[in-house]
Amino acid sequence: MQLKNIDRGGAILAVAVMAVLPLVFDSRYLMGVLTVAAIYGIWSVSWDFMSGLTGRENFGHSLFIGVGAYAAGFLNTLWGANAWWSLPAGMAAAVVFALIMGIPTLRLKGPYFALAMLSGAVIMQRLMLIFWEYTGGEEGINGIEPLIRSPLYFYWFVLGVLALTVALLGGLARSRWGLILKAIRGDEATCQAAGLNVTYYKIASLVISAAFAGMGGALYAHYQLQVSPQLFAVVTSITIITMVYVGGMGSIYGAVGGALLLTLMTELLRNFGEWRLMVYSVALILILFFLPQGLVAPTWHKMRQRWAGVKS
Amino acid sequence: MLEILIFGAVTSAIYAMLAVGFTLIFGVARILNLAHGSFYALGAYGAYVLTTIFKVPLLVAAPLVVIGVALFGMVVERVLIRPMRTSQLAVLMISLAVALVVEQALFLVFGSEYRNVPSFSDQKYVIGGVDVAGQRLLTLLVAVVSIGCLYLFIQKTRLGSAILAISQDPEAAQYMGIPSDRIFGVVMALSAGLAALAGIMAGPFLSVQPSMHLLPIVKAFAIVVVGGLGSIPGSIVAALMLGYAETLVAYGISTSWTEIVSVAATLLMLVLRPAGFFGKRAAF
Amino acid sequence: MFKAPFSKRSFSKLALALSVAALLSPAQAQQGPIKIGLSTPVQLQVGRDTQEAAKMAIDEINAKGGVMGRKLSFVVADETENPEVGINAIKKLTADEKVDVIVGGYTSGVTLAQLPHIASAKTIYLGVGAASPAITAKVKQDYENYKYIFRTGPIHAVHQAKGLVEWISGHLIGELGLKKIAIIGENAKWVQDLVPVLRKGAGDVGADVRMVEFFDTTTSDFSPLLSKIKSSEAQFLVVVLSHASSDVFAKQWYDARFPIPYGGIDVKSQDGDFFDRVGGKSLSEIAVNFAVRAPLTVKTVPFFDEFKKRTGRVPVYTAFGAYDSVHAYAQAIDRAKSLDTNAIIKELEKTSMPGVAGQLEYDDSHDVKAGGKYMNLLFAQWQAKGERVVLWPKNLRSGSMIMPPWLTK
Repeated sequence: MQLKNIDRGGAILAVAVMAVLPLVFDSRYLMGVLTVAAIYGIWSVSWDFMSGLTGRENFGHSLFIGVGAYAAGFLNTLWGANAWWSLPAGMAAAVVFALIMGIPTLRLKGPYFALAMLSGAVIMQRLMLIFWEYTGGEEGINGIEPLIRSPLYFYWFVLGVLALTVALLGGLARSRWGLILKAIRGDEATCQAAGLNVTYYKIASLVISAAFAGMGGALYAHYQLQVSPQLFAVVTSITIITMVYVGGMGSIYGAVGGALLLTLMTELLRNFGEWRLMVYSVALILILFFLPQGLVAPTWHKMRQRWAGVKS
Repeated sequence: MLEILIFGAVTSAIYAMLAVGFTLIFGVARILNLAHGSFYALGAYGAYVLTTIFKVPLLVAAPLVVIGVALFGMVVERVLIRPMRTSQLAVLMISLAVALVVEQALFLVFGSEYRNVPSFSDQKYVIGGVDVAGQRLLTLLVAVVSIGCLYLFIQKTRLGSAILAISQDPEAAQYMGIPSDRIFGVVMALSAGLAALAGIMAGPFLSVQPSMHLLPIVKAFAIVVVGGLGSIPGSIVAALMLGYAETLVAYGISTSWTEIVSVAATLLMLVLRPAGFFGKRAAF
Repeated sequence: MFKAPFSKRSFSKLALALSVAALLSPAQAQQGPIKIGLSTPVQLQVGRDTQEAAKMAIDEINAKGGVMGRKLSFVVADETENPEVGINAIKKLTADEKVDVIVGGYTSGVTLAQLPHIASAKTIYLGVGAASPAITAKVKQDYENYKYIFRTGPIHAVHQAKGLVEWISGHLIGELGLKKIAIIGENAKWVQDLVPVLRKGAGDVGADVRMVEFFDTTTSDFSPLLSKIKSSEAQFLVVVLSHASSDVFAKQWYDARFPIPYGGIDVKSQDGDFFDRVGGKSLSEIAVNFAVRAPLTVKTVPFFDEFKKRTGRVPVYTAFGAYDSVHAYAQAIDRAKSLDTNAIIKELEKTSMPGVAGQLEYDDSHDVKAGGKYMNLLFAQWQAKGERVVLWPKNLRSGSMIMPPWLTK
């Protein structure tokens, strides 16, 4: 879909609202929740870029997140590096793993690719536990420094990164790149026959997806001030996939809405703490059945139609 | 040495029970059922509930639980999976969601602490100088018998032939008037029941807590991929291979490494030979 | 497609608005009760007992008029055994519930992860369950930022190791003549802190340490490990377990009629219903308890009785810490005659009161003092019908030791 002024306007409005929300309500708690939601947004958007466009669902996205986070952890604590190095380091680490995992597995069909990536994440989680003498085991690495001391400025920084991510990946998705990726989802063999280097595009999109996920992981490490093997868990990957489903697969910006909605929803239920994952799972089932197109993206489509008479 | 032989056999037996059911439902209905581990968990918890809370003797409780979980499997297939059958990925997602829901339900009802499932046998046997708990030997026996019965059932009965027919050529089977949909339900029930039986037998000596479904499903998947999706003999051979590989690693290196064995095996198989050793259908 | 009464668009807008509103439930008014935040794994016995004991102390204090004329109240956050969830629990308590003090803890890894967040919230924290010395190490290293952290219980891992060595020396070697021991522990932080001290200490008192091994907390099949222990020819198996599957271990040890008796630190074995939970298969296990219903201090017996009356069960160790923490905190406020955090900290440092397990005083690292009249390790054995018999220290012994039934010659 073409980016119209209404889309740009909507995006700017959304970012402005998110930036101002915690100030308006003067709640440090809300700021914390929104920071986490924004980071999940980065993860979801990065997942959507690869899996949403190509249709190759990656069940092991947590691998890139965890690797980025641990890279940040090691760099900051063991090697005493300045926290700002974590961002490129997280990206680099994730990229390396994307190549290691992606190259052998991208030729596999749908469910097998999904499960192969899942295996990668599980193996990584296990390795973190096995080599506990170096990685801190179940308790992970503690004592990571915050990236920016002020929670408010950090929140705005994360928001900025999120906005940048959406702009970059969204732009790519709308360009020739995105077209090719969507074509690959449709019919890979035809693309190959048409002379496109399908393998290159698949790997490249996985690498880009991983890079942003890894950076998000590094941001998360500097927010939580610790990393643990839980980051690699299947639940993380599933949560992100759910968020993208709610947002609308392949829309890129929808994933942000999905991340926001689901994070806020779980906070609403925080008094029923134990029920949180239960609600997620049930929500996932309901969404798969009733909202296969998602909630956020189709909603926005209707809205822009109403307001700007724009058909997409 | 003898220890590894015996314990490896017990481990392989449990894995075989899980893998055979998993590969059956895939071979016949092309369903990668990630909720398979939940049947295992429900078997163990079912035994716990009936014996500890309702004071039903184990010998009566066990068949009841197996039947109950089998029925649950049928319902899940009918209500949740069948509507999604157009997309293999959707089936994967929804079976995963079911697994999570079951895990959370168990967590909410029973809490995260380990539960005690009573064993059929509290005796200890000594085989060639090795102390083996009676329950483990019984598990081995039950596995062999149940898989044997399943195999005979498929080879010798009419229903079994129908199942074979569908797995070999779904379209032709349909032309012949075989009601595929109903058969899927039956196969799911068999698969679930077998998994539940594994849970009841292994529950007494392995851990029973809400997330117990995860490892079995990872291993079942590993075995099935290695053995070849849809092949029962393949699953049995692969189960033996994996069971012994794990036991060797546990005794030789450390138990921490055993989980990686299965997952790494899956990954390697998928990458190198997606059809597995005996599989007809490739993962390409 | 049916027409829904609420269009999807307005529904999502409404949902979003409601969510934001719900998140911002108003903070407590200043003149209300003093809020105590309990951060503890509510699903486990240690969590339940933390809450019950805290409640008990709060009720006692409120019955006497509260603190500086204000009542005490509490709110609970589930920290589970997972560091991430633990951090969220702290955030909930400090940023959302705005508690005045936090009491709780169990897994050292979780507490360590929570520390920077507690420190940045400038809220006093009284630990009741985690044993790693690293938790209070920061108090000395960076007093200005970490002065809020205190540990009321248990005594930290190194103290515990010394307690174990004393028992090995006096009981295992001295009275039973069992010199060859094997040590196994789950690989959790506090165990990693404890085992080296234990190994060296045991060697120093004349034990022959045949093997030392760590294992994964999620291990469910102990046969390989048991096999290794058997071939090490040890005469006694010293365990250090907290999160690991004590239940499964006991059952597998019993089912295999393992020829070596075992005991040591086994937190789950402290649960009053542990014996029944494992179908009686922990028979003859000797496990550490931090207090038993004996006059260790003037408060011990009344505490156990009142707890039993309220809950029908015997408390686990986090209960002692929770009860003592609440009282220590209240008394510190009374002495400081102010609710200023720094003033309270100064008074807490001067605490000297009878606790449940021993005299409660904090050292210069805000860590609970151990040994002598302070808190100690007690060793109790599971005997027939689920009876727990104290075997060590000798002056508290309440019965004679039994061996595993299949080993009685």
